[in-house]
Amino acid sequence: MSNNGKGSKALFEEVINQGLCTGCGACVTACPYMVAYGGRIVVLDKCTIEEGDCYKHCPRTYTDMNAVSEKIFGVPYGDEEVGHAVDIFMARSTDKRIKEKAQDGGTVTTLLALALEEGIINAVVCTKMDEDKVARGYVARSREELLECAGSSYEASFVLEAYRGIPKESTEKLAVVGLGCEVEALSKIKTYEPKNSVNPENIKLTMGLICGWALRPDVFHPFLRELCDPSQAVKFDIPHTPHYTFDVYTKKETKSVTLDEIRPYINPACQYCWDMTAEFSDISVGSAGSKFPGWNTVIIRTNMGADLMEAAREKGILETQALPEQRLAHLKTVALNRKKTALKNIIEKTGSEKDLLYVGGLSEGIADKLLEE
Amino acid sequence: MASIAMDKPGATVLLMGNEAVARGAIEAGIGVAAAYPGSPTSEVLPTIAGVAKEMNIHAEWSVNEKVSAEVAGAASFAGIRSLCIMKQNGANVAADFIVNANMTGLGEAGMVIFISDDPGGMTSNNEEDSRTITKWFDNPLLEANNAQEAKEMIKWAYEVSEAVNLIVFVRGVTRLSYTRGNVVLGELPEEKEKKAHFPDLWDMYNPTKSKFTSGPFPIFHKPLHEKLEKAREIFETSTFNRYMGPEHPEVLIITCGACTSYSIEAVEELKAGDRVGVLKLGTTWPLPEKLVAKHLATTTKVFFVEEMDPFVERSVMELAASLLPATSALTFYGKRSGHLTPYNEQSTNLVINALMDILAMTYQPRDLTYDKVAKEAVALVPSRPINMCAGCPHRATFWAIKKALKLDGRDGLVTGDIGCYSLAFAGPGFFQARTMHAMGSGAGVANGLGSLKQFGFDQPVLAVTGDSTFYHAVMPALVNGVYNNSNFILLILDNSATAMTGFQPHPGTGQLATGDPATVVDMEAICRAMGAHVELCEPFDLEHSTETLLKMIKEDSGARVIIMRHMCQLVKVKRKIPAKYKMHVDPERCLGDTCGCDRLCTRILGCPGLMWDTKAGRAAIDEVLCAGCGLCADICPAGAIIREEAI
Amino acid sequence: MGTKTLTKEPFNFIVAGVGGQGNVLLSAFVGMALVNEGFMVSVADTFGVSQRGGSVTSHIKISKEATYSSVTLEGKADVILGMEPVETLRALGEFGNPHVITIVNPRPVHPTGGVAYPDLEEVKKAIIKLSSQAKFVNATEEALKMGNPIYTNVILLGSLVGADVLPISKESMVPILEERFPGKVFDTNMKAFNKGLELIAMA
Repeated sequence: MSNNGKGSKALFEEVINQGLCTGCGACVTACPYMVAYGGRIVVLDKCTIEEGDCYKHCPRTYTDMNAVSEKIFGVPYGDEEVGHAVDIFMARSTDKRIKEKAQDGGTVTTLLALALEEGIINAVVCTKMDEDKVARGYVARSREELLECAGSSYEASFVLEAYRGIPKESTEKLAVVGLGCEVEALSKIKTYEPKNSVNPENIKLTMGLICGWALRPDVFHPFLRELCDPSQAVKFDIPHTPHYTFDVYTKKETKSVTLDEIRPYINPACQYCWDMTAEFSDISVGSAGSKFPGWNTVIIRTNMGADLMEAAREKGILETQALPEQRLAHLKTVALNRKKTALKNIIEKTGSEKDLLYVGGLSEGIADKLLEE
Repeated sequence: MASIAMDKPGATVLLMGNEAVARGAIEAGIGVAAAYPGSPTSEVLPTIAGVAKEMNIHAEWSVNEKVSAEVAGAASFAGIRSLCIMKQNGANVAADFIVNANMTGLGEAGMVIFISDDPGGMTSNNEEDSRTITKWFDNPLLEANNAQEAKEMIKWAYEVSEAVNLIVFVRGVTRLSYTRGNVVLGELPEEKEKKAHFPDLWDMYNPTKSKFTSGPFPIFHKPLHEKLEKAREIFETSTFNRYMGPEHPEVLIITCGACTSYSIEAVEELKAGDRVGVLKLGTTWPLPEKLVAKHLATTTKVFFVEEMDPFVERSVMELAASLLPATSALTFYGKRSGHLTPYNEQSTNLVINALMDILAMTYQPRDLTYDKVAKEAVALVPSRPINMCAGCPHRATFWAIKKALKLDGRDGLVTGDIGCYSLAFAGPGFFQARTMHAMGSGAGVANGLGSLKQFGFDQPVLAVTGDSTFYHAVMPALVNGVYNNSNFILLILDNSATAMTGFQPHPGTGQLATGDPATVVDMEAICRAMGAHVELCEPFDLEHSTETLLKMIKEDSGARVIIMRHMCQLVKVKRKIPAKYKMHVDPERCLGDTCGCDRLCTRILGCPGLMWDTKAGRAAIDEVLCAGCGLCADICPAGAIIREEAI
Repeated sequence: MGTKTLTKEPFNFIVAGVGGQGNVLLSAFVGMALVNEGFMVSVADTFGVSQRGGSVTSHIKISKEATYSSVTLEGKADVILGMEPVETLRALGEFGNPHVITIVNPRPVHPTGGVAYPDLEEVKKAIIKLSSQAKFVNATEEALKMGNPIYTNVILLGSLVGADVLPISKESMVPILEERFPGKVFDTNMKAFNKGLELIAMA
């Protein structure tokens, strides 16, 4: 199945109207006809281009995982549950301010602030919540600005739309922070050169966020408004098992709802997502679990990631410890289950094991293993 | 051009129909002229206004045709001859007054309404035959063929009006109004002084002799019909009715108005003058029955050539039925038979086609080989869709509307109105408008949609209107919206002109028809006084206007108003206001028809100042047409359109 | 009263252009000059909506004897003045015939809304094929040299008069221009008019 020769028409027919849109924002990155607004892709006018970047870079159109893996890592797509990794451990920031604002360990903010200050990058494309906690793509160029972006929004932010603001000829070195789908889109942008818009050579660092599912802003926010005054919320959290809640921390109190109450607001596209750990990043970061509050699980995938991590350790801005075997095993199990569940849902949707929607380019062995019970 | 009031009786000048009407009214010694701009009649009033002082005439742009008819009526009541001018739709608006004025009768001085229809709707959004309305109202009706005749008819119409004490309609069509032809000027009126006085003519015991108050008195209706009979008698001997042709023609054409020329010329072109006679009627209602009956008796085939409705056709067929069995041998051709259509404009060629069938003859306009080559060559020719001018603020307004409604995502719509922004239903306005009816209907329909909340209606409604239209018909609709708490936004596109019809002044522009200064009737203050939430926007500040629209749309509460204010580009040209920017396209940055652009500026924005260079695959600025407004630079996704401040 | 005569009775003259190009003014000038020469003239244009980018055709019917309707019969044009190439071709398509004389300003005005303009050379070739005589006058070019595209009309007027295809002379046109353009403006416009005479002599 080829990715070529299709444009916005097919994008809507095959992805958006099929309930597969994850809200990554890759399609709107370079397009004047589509914008992300109110948690959905809005078409302003009709585009007649037959072969468009929107379709080519969408993470939910056919992706040749091998080709992408070769481009990012130089090796074919493997069978590791958490994707290509050179090191996995736990980390947390030693900076007080970062720890105050961080979701868990503040590792992402710490590493990005370091990269900015060292001049490894000049700007960070990441997600920022406004006063009412609506998440949008944003470009941070300083530690202060980064701090404003710390903390999880738990919703699809169309982050890659912010990538649009950076002109092709820009000499700024960029970092991008994203969920699995966003990183996958970014990897497709790197693998399949954009026609006219952005220049993926500018992207020097990709930070992935481990993600279970994302909320749909257009339905989540009315719910949130009933729960509290969004402008008073300071943090959202979904603590790991044994907890089963979605917590909203306001300046005065904490409001909790069960995960069942929040389930109606999950993006249905997430049930088809097989990449929990943002496999194509330089570094992927997540929560270390309820046994290690305030710590991150960190997966290093590339030399760039390893070098940055090393610099952070040397400077003493991050402290690290080994990830216990049990935790690692648990991580791998959950990640693998995610892949399997996703494929199961995909096959139910397409009606055929031969049509795995966006999951393509897998070697037979890998595919079979994932499809077996 | 020399003055329309030049004192040179016998001189021949080139005048368009509208100007000839003005001259005719001036020669008839009118004291009052009132109108609302409406193509194809818009030139009549300003022509008179241009010499108003010199000729002692009060010439005004009224806010709508009803008021203009009332103003003209009042002049007649007070003994001053008056002219009221309107397009076909104007009769719809003025109807209630005219019907009642027919009941009450006029004053000593005559009143004439010049009404010009637009077959084919070249400058209208509907087609309508005002003659049927005239008949419905019970007014005498004259139809002019060309400019010279129009001038003569207007003058005679005052005599008829005073003889029968009714408003007389002189009807034209676009071809009459806008065709310039030779006109021999007549004498100007001797006295310029006119004296106005409202007479006391109410007599409760003699209501039929009383004047100016209609009422629930059916007794006014009988005299009205008697007046029409009197008009019919006058028409039987009118020299505006003329027959040309053999004594016993094989085919008798009965024609009127502009179709007279088409009929005569068709017969000439077919060289069928020995077979076809033309009875031209200048007085078409009431029908001069004796005259027509006389001619019906000379033939067996009657062919009706007229614009739009089978108006004369029906009257004559009614007459023929009443004369049976004498007329039983007649065959009728016209709209009923399908030889001509009751819609679209007539032409000499169409009459020739019909005659070819009726006379069973052939006709070849030109060499067949040439014809084939010509038709093939025309395949090269692209169509020219109508557009808004380069620099038009409406283009910016509709761009913001399109985006705001799409972002809102509830399938919001625009209810359209009449004016340059009428183009909102098509490409130039990005297909935003989904309704368009009469002047002010946008606001009226929006009122209706905005009151459907209880039935689950939640689509944002934006009524679009213009500054002139606001004073014309929208104000009552806004009152209705505030009073009935209807949920819609009224967008007033204030470009300081009645632009579509030719930049006539209106109550918001601070100028009278004569060019003298006028009190500005403050639109913003009126809307606030009505109790609406009002915002002001500069259409070319896309970010702010889109934001304001979104904000107001989300408000979702009652009648709201946004005034989008920016001067019409053509008015700027008239006032010699220079272009703000000098524009050019950087071919290095232009993405043209590739991904990331797909010709957004030439294909979607569609401003006439932009061209698509097919060879280079790039957009370019047409320096002759570009107005330098800078809008394209704001929407270019590649930042390839550069603007520099013009010196 | 002029001494000019018509080569055909009635004579059909068409000005083909795009809204906003000034057909109306040009046809009015020609009409007035013809009236001054003692002819009966009928001139029709389409106004209003057509200002905004649509095709505009002005028809002038000239007769010594009677006032005719203005619109040319199918295939009966005698002279076509094309202010724009595609509009000229459009007019030839409906009103042309093997005898028609065409004078054209070959400067394209692009249709809006994404409609492509055909190859100009193809259009010119078709115009030549469909006319007994076709003369090209670069009026807009010259007007731009004079500093303002607004002079295009008067240049074309000069070319029309100079071509001697209508019964009007420079002498009958000058007083009309004088009345319309007072003072200094008259001088510039006469310059443009004379340029038109020059251009047609070379075409």
